[in-house]
Amino acid sequence: MSDVTTATEETTAAESSPAPKKRRRPFGFYLAGGWLGLVVFLALFGGFMPLPRWDESFYDFLGSPPGTSGHILGTTQDGYDMLAGLVNGARLSSSIAFVAVLLGGSIGSFIGITSAYFRGRIDLIVTSIFNVMLSIPNLVLSLALLSVLAYSDANHPASTLRRVVVLMLSLTIVIVPILGRIARASTLQWAGREFVIASKSMGTRNFTIIRKHILPNVAPAILAIGFLAIGSVIIVEGSLAILGIGIPGGGSWGSMLANGRSNIQFSAWEVYMPALCIAFTVISCNWFGDYVRNLLDKREAKI
Amino acid sequence: MTTLLKLEDLNVSFATPRGALKAVRNVSIELGAGESLGVVGESGSGKTVLSRATMGLLPSTATRTGAIIYQGQDISGWSSEKVRELWGVGMAMIFQDPMTALNPVRRIGAQVTESLTVRLGMDKKAAKARAIELLKRVRIPDPEGMLRKFPYQLSGGMRQRIMIAIAVSCNPELLFADEPTTALDVTVQAQVLELLDELRKEYNTAMILVTHDLGVVAGHTDKIAVMYAGDLVEYAPTPQLFANMKMPYTEALLKSIPRLETPTGTRLPVIEGRMPDPTKDEPGCAFAGRCPYVQDKCRAEKPPLTDGGNNHYYRCWFPIGGK
Repeated sequence: MSDVTTATEETTAAESSPAPKKRRRPFGFYLAGGWLGLVVFLALFGGFMPLPRWDESFYDFLGSPPGTSGHILGTTQDGYDMLAGLVNGARLSSSIAFVAVLLGGSIGSFIGITSAYFRGRIDLIVTSIFNVMLSIPNLVLSLALLSVLAYSDANHPASTLRRVVVLMLSLTIVIVPILGRIARASTLQWAGREFVIASKSMGTRNFTIIRKHILPNVAPAILAIGFLAIGSVIIVEGSLAILGIGIPGGGSWGSMLANGRSNIQFSAWEVYMPALCIAFTVISCNWFGDYVRNLLDKREAKI
Repeated sequence: MTTLLKLEDLNVSFATPRGALKAVRNVSIELGAGESLGVVGESGSGKTVLSRATMGLLPSTATRTGAIIYQGQDISGWSSEKVRELWGVGMAMIFQDPMTALNPVRRIGAQVTESLTVRLGMDKKAAKARAIELLKRVRIPDPEGMLRKFPYQLSGGMRQRIMIAIAVSCNPELLFADEPTTALDVTVQAQVLELLDELRKEYNTAMILVTHDLGVVAGHTDKIAVMYAGDLVEYAPTPQLFANMKMPYTEALLKSIPRLETPTGTRLPVIEGRMPDPTKDEPGCAFAGRCPYVQDKCRAEKPPLTDGGNNHYYRCWFPIGGK
């Protein structure tokens, strides 16, 4: 009985002791968070801001440099407003990346977790398919999917909406094996733990165990890689645009970059502005991915 | 006393790259309702596999033959769906290591109420009230505050109490305790064992206590089954076994328990040698290589499980004290 009383004292002592020092977040947390916050804000509310139209050419301002009144970040050689274009690009690029990773991540995690949990033949098939998909470079895979699913030429034009949807879908397919493999590996690590067997021995159903015991443990790892995936999806989207098969009409950052390429000697801002936006976003996502992974490693060490 | 569980010729083998590993060989055991059986043996003797095989918690690489008669029904052929209906409500298990048998990222409350809501269909409020009652029952101070804690905030003894609370939450008929005190301090060990006894008497739960420590089972079981290399080597009512041990292996196990009264500096007696390779079927007694009383017959022929009278069974050609 004595150990019971000491345990009470210990716990109450731990609770009444001064609050533990708040962990100082690194500077990069605010920097990366601030940038991502700005991008998300512009993506959500950019449409309500008093900006020139992004898809209208201003003939009085062809290739105006940044700082021109009315067009703070300048215009392209064709007279499109840079700031409006970038804000619209934030909406397109981030929503494409977000949707692709969310969708691909959910599908991939579901497949990865269930196949690792049940093992057997299904697991073998799933791993083989993942490996085949992973052996094809991201860009080539999405290029192939895009040119098959949304083929367009002068005679058979594909609508912008269709191209956007197909772009999202093909990027989703690229993400599925990446996050699926992470989810599978992480599940393998947890599924054999005693608490899973213990819960099973109480008669809990497999999908309840997956939901209540596996998912909370696997989620941080998926989250960490998910951030990295958002970054790489934005890059793939930009690369596709530069190759001329992104979204036509210069919607996303990648398309702005692609359109501005030929004017680089006259108006370099057409290129470096979207390029910087892509770079900052990708770096911020990668930074957050690393940050989450670090927290995760510390937690693992504690357990 | 009605028979609750009866194992008949239970065999478990695992498929390994080196061939079939026979972890449990032809074990037959009987357990009455409310009775308590100790399964004793060293690491690798098959005692944990025996308990997991009875419940049906083996990995897919294992093959199990023989009959498992639970409340008059042979459950060995049941589908996993059907066996799951028994788990928690009919049979429940307390695991060896309380450090790993609780989910590190979920609160105690969520883990204690899980089987109450999932298995017994209680609503959240009722499950919480029952959880508090259970935690009180296993003598956890401030049970309401405990529900909000995470496993890492608790000591080993506290966690084992939580594990026990979870295992008994659905009032099982049969409780498997797989080395429940091995990971705990000696002082806490005694408390946990007493708690188990108390709960068992209160709910008339039968228990199979798996341990390597003869000292643990001595005061807490009605019968003892000693296992060696997958074989049942001695099986007797507890007082009978301690008064009149037949098997040299049991004697060796008892001798290797450290004692307070031995002078300082005395070497702890150990059982020399190792268990035979479980993937090979060698002739003779499995213990022959390590037995101090070994004779030629032991190496040539495997002894059968002999009935020594008074429900005392042993597997030895030359039992201690004669036949």
